[in-house]
Amino acid sequence: MTPIYLSAAILLLANAGVGAWRIWHGPTSADRMVAAELITTTTVAVLLVLSALVEQPVLIDVALLFALLAAVAMANFVTRTWTLLREDSQARDEAGHD
Amino acid sequence: MTALTVGFDLLLSAALLWLAWQALFLPLRFAAVVHFMAFNLLMALVWVRLEAPDVALAEAAIGAGVTGALLLTALGRLPGGGSRRAHPRRWHRYWRYLAIFSAFVSAVWLAWSVQHLPRPGLTTEIMAALDTTGVSHAVTAVLLNIRAIDTLLEVAVMLGAVMLVWSLGPALRPFAPATALPGLPALSRLLHPLFLLVPTYLLWRGAHAPGGAFPAGAVLGAGGILLLLADGVSWMQQPRYNLLLRLLLIAGLALFVVVGLGGLLLTGTFLAIPQAQAKAVILAVEVATALSIALMLMALYLYGEPGR
Repeated sequence: MTPIYLSAAILLLANAGVGAWRIWHGPTSADRMVAAELITTTTVAVLLVLSALVEQPVLIDVALLFALLAAVAMANFVTRTWTLLREDSQARDEAGHD
Repeated sequence: MTALTVGFDLLLSAALLWLAWQALFLPLRFAAVVHFMAFNLLMALVWVRLEAPDVALAEAAIGAGVTGALLLTALGRLPGGGSRRAHPRRWHRYWRYLAIFSAFVSAVWLAWSVQHLPRPGLTTEIMAALDTTGVSHAVTAVLLNIRAIDTLLEVAVMLGAVMLVWSLGPALRPFAPATALPGLPALSRLLHPLFLLVPTYLLWRGAHAPGGAFPAGAVLGAGGILLLLADGVSWMQQPRYNLLLRLLLIAGLALFVVVGLGGLLLTGTFLAIPQAQAKAVILAVEVATALSIALMLMALYLYGEPGR
């Protein structure tokens, strides 16, 4: 079973690499944020696979924390970063494109 | 099997280096912050590979929840248009040489001290003393009994950080979101039971497995931040609850100091916990510290003194 788990973990990590490319490339901040959430989900999956591989139940706790806290990061982004920034005219532009 | 493990580790380190480089050198601030958040995620995986699940748990709780939230909010307050001006390449070159030199010196010093670490560490000593500490997990025993003074000082440092942030001015009023968010209050209400259940679980688990006050407090604090975002905790901003808020903030540190002084009275050593009461005392200190840490993170998140 071990090679299957390891291959699955490597495949998931490669998926996270695709997410990293999207974070780097953008072009809007919403794209970057969703890509970060993709990496979170992938990390949760890698942790679950690793917990089966090394038989350490504590890794499931780490995965639980990531799954729970992803919601906080996203809620933060929509309420506090993606705002109608002040009075600047290009502010809305920056929220959409930076 | 070994080839696959090596491949996984190589891929992980390459991704980590890439994310760290982009987080440091990208001129776009938002992209740099998101790279840093992704770096935190993969760093937790590295701690797992290094067989340090306690550190991975703390990294997950603090890195994914609180640091990302603080950075994203600070980013939303920065003036627009100047994002390219903050690039490190525009520093004076002497500062750069100084930074490179000090990084080199500390790297050499670290490599030298790794060579001279006692092998195999202090594991045998701690395992021998574990029965007298009142808990059965070595990390919790070190954090709250054998080296409790370190944890006490960490809580004091966090309280100092809150005082520093509050001294900067009144709490910030959030800007209006760019779109209507009808789902946010429902999300915070649905998730809130989980944000109470998971820290309780982590706190209880800390006595015999990875967990404990710091991850529990960080998760509770992240849940509190979610409530703050949905305007669910307006009492923190009201002047009549100011005294209560301050008392709750110092509760963890105060209980810790009382335990330390009690140890001084009973055994003659500051922070020495008598073996018979150790389990109950450690649990009480952990609950109080976790609650204080959660409230301190929420207080940091206000970015200023409330009710002023």
